[in-house]
Amino acid sequence: MNFDLSSEQQLLRDSVERFVADNYSLEARVKVTDAEPGFSKTHWKSFADLGWLALPFAEADGGFGGGPIETMLLMEAFGKGLVVEPYLASIVLGGGALRRGASKAVKDAILPGVIDGTKQLAFGYAEEQARFDLEDVITTARPEANGFLLNGTKSVVQNAATADYIVISARTSGGQVDRNGISLFLIDAKADGVERDNYPTVDGLRASEVKLTNVRVDRDRLIGEVGNGFAILEAVANDAILALSAEAVGAMEVLYKDTVEYTTQRQQFGHALSEFQVLQHRMVEMFMEYEQCKSLLFRATLEAAQGTHTAQRTIHALKHLVGKAGTFIGENAVQLHGGMGMTEELRIGHYFKRLLVIDAQFGNSDHHLQKFAA
Amino acid sequence: MDIDLSAADLAFRDDVRDFLRTNAYKPGADYGEWRFGWFEKAKAKGGWDVPKWPKAFGGPGWTPTQHYIWEQETAIAMLPFDMPFGVGMLAPILMGYGSKEQQDRFLPDIRARKVNWCQGYSEPGAGSDLAALKTKAELSADGKTYTVNGTKIWTTAAHMADWIFCLTRTEDTGKRQEGITFLLFPMKQPGIEVKPIITLGGSHTVNMVHINDVKVPVENRIGEEGKGWTYAKGLLQHERTGLAGVSRSIVALESLKKQARSVKRGNGSLMDEPAFRAKVAALEVDLMALEFTELRSLAAASAGGALGPESSIMKLKGTEIQQRIAKLTVEAGGIYSAGWGHPVGPKFARNGMASYLSSRAYTIYGGASEVQKDVIAKNVLGIKSGKK
Repeated sequence: MNFDLSSEQQLLRDSVERFVADNYSLEARVKVTDAEPGFSKTHWKSFADLGWLALPFAEADGGFGGGPIETMLLMEAFGKGLVVEPYLASIVLGGGALRRGASKAVKDAILPGVIDGTKQLAFGYAEEQARFDLEDVITTARPEANGFLLNGTKSVVQNAATADYIVISARTSGGQVDRNGISLFLIDAKADGVERDNYPTVDGLRASEVKLTNVRVDRDRLIGEVGNGFAILEAVANDAILALSAEAVGAMEVLYKDTVEYTTQRQQFGHALSEFQVLQHRMVEMFMEYEQCKSLLFRATLEAAQGTHTAQRTIHALKHLVGKAGTFIGENAVQLHGGMGMTEELRIGHYFKRLLVIDAQFGNSDHHLQKFAA
Repeated sequence: MDIDLSAADLAFRDDVRDFLRTNAYKPGADYGEWRFGWFEKAKAKGGWDVPKWPKAFGGPGWTPTQHYIWEQETAIAMLPFDMPFGVGMLAPILMGYGSKEQQDRFLPDIRARKVNWCQGYSEPGAGSDLAALKTKAELSADGKTYTVNGTKIWTTAAHMADWIFCLTRTEDTGKRQEGITFLLFPMKQPGIEVKPIITLGGSHTVNMVHINDVKVPVENRIGEEGKGWTYAKGLLQHERTGLAGVSRSIVALESLKKQARSVKRGNGSLMDEPAFRAKVAALEVDLMALEFTELRSLAAASAGGALGPESSIMKLKGTEIQQRIAKLTVEAGGIYSAGWGHPVGPKFARNGMASYLSSRAYTIYGGASEVQKDVIAKNVLGIKSGKK
């Protein structure tokens, strides 16, 4: 039993932390998110050059064969810098589906571009009526000669506006909430019948409602087997929860530390705010929640990496705690910054908004508590 | 990073399990006799009777992982608690600050559990603010004997103790933390009066101790006069790190679930009621996180480094979790939790309320949670103290 990083893992963490510290000021971030496409193409190219886009892919697919621990290190540092580049959408989600289920031909055709950063991916897994249930799918895929015909609408698809390809979950058989009968397809984002309604999300990122009207997909663009897509969907969702939780832990660290620093500088009633015990205790609570999330992040990540039989349950526990603690830390960071915490000028609010979006993605705190207790 | 136990650790775990099973208490046997025999056998295993003592003093010299395994396995086996005052609290002070003569004189009996100790710290006017203590110790003109006068309170097991380790004031000018002296003296002597204090759970564990003109020879003083605060502070750390009780809580949570499942509701049980179930689940999540917080802090300790910031939260979070388990047990007992000492209703409910009421002390003793937060704010967050 140990928590030591290998030397490769330490190098990875050091390089991403340095990159984030050098490149992600609040000003730079706002400039990027205020314009389209909502992220920096220069940074994306750097991510490719640094090998980060290759991280989770198998060596046979041109990747580095990294696992959950490597992704955790990367995402935690991204969380500290509030990185906006679509790593989650393109590499963890889209890439996660392809590396698990795509045929060799599709991998050979698509992954090199994803890894060198010239192509991007997105994953349409959610639907409006489904709330957080991955298995609730009414988008249909009807077999036809040489392929399938897709109809339906996928909700809040991150990075769909920029993506070259989108992975879609659609029903090939079964009832609305059956786990069996869900299939995954890789569609061209510009294919006939694909309509994207693009919008910014509250955290400055980009999403789209993706409407599919008689979209034709070749049979060889099926990811995994017909009707058996749910296992891949669930595995990718677990990856995403671990990645988002690592990002959230990074963001929580910034929030509690910024709050300590601000209250130490800010004078009121002739004293630094941090001298007031009621505020000290609140900050200690923020710190404790952060440490507890970090502990559970380690636990869930290690369990996933080692494939323990309790890993799924621990991932539910993690997403529950991250949602709860993220909201608590974010709300109190704003509260303790007073009026300044309400402004766009300080970075506090931007981290808070990101944590709120993370809670809403892939099932919120209550959703995962119920799954955990089931 | 990995969470697997090494082959050596697994072998150690099997050895511990085997030992605990072989030497378990057999119903009907004389409890006191079994307990003394148990300690002797544990000693023969290579210092298992004093797991936390360093090797130089006859401890087992375990790695942090081995300590963790021991905690887990003794919790699962429900090994009865060992009184912490001698082995856990005074012994480290004697090892760190006592003279060779004092070590030779006191440690063997502490180890054999022959002499029961109690801790004379808190006073009516000095609770969380321990440095306010006033029990006076005056040195005779010949420098050979202290005369001690004062009152100690919340003294656990004083009514069963043979000796007390006691903080006294030898100087009341200057800084409050200076002028405190650490003395040892017998409890069974004229001038010492122990009055029981019955707590909310109906039990007698704590006492008020009046000390009147008790003579203490100077060779019973630990270290230097006036330096007692420094010695006691080291001891408080020992006390606090042992109070989180994570392994015991994991076992207690499992029995809570079992108890709740035994409470029938319609076709299911209390565990099927959403509100109760959600509370149990949230509690378990916090406990799972705390278990890894403890492992992170053990890992830091085994790397030889200072304890990381994460270790500071153990007492606070650990005692809170113990209280939540106790509270949910009361809830599970329903109306029968109101019963008091009469054998009716579900078996687990008979002691539930008393345990819960007693558990309210967990966030008060060993440094109240609010004091813990002050300490974390200062030592971990680096915030200048200055209470307002």
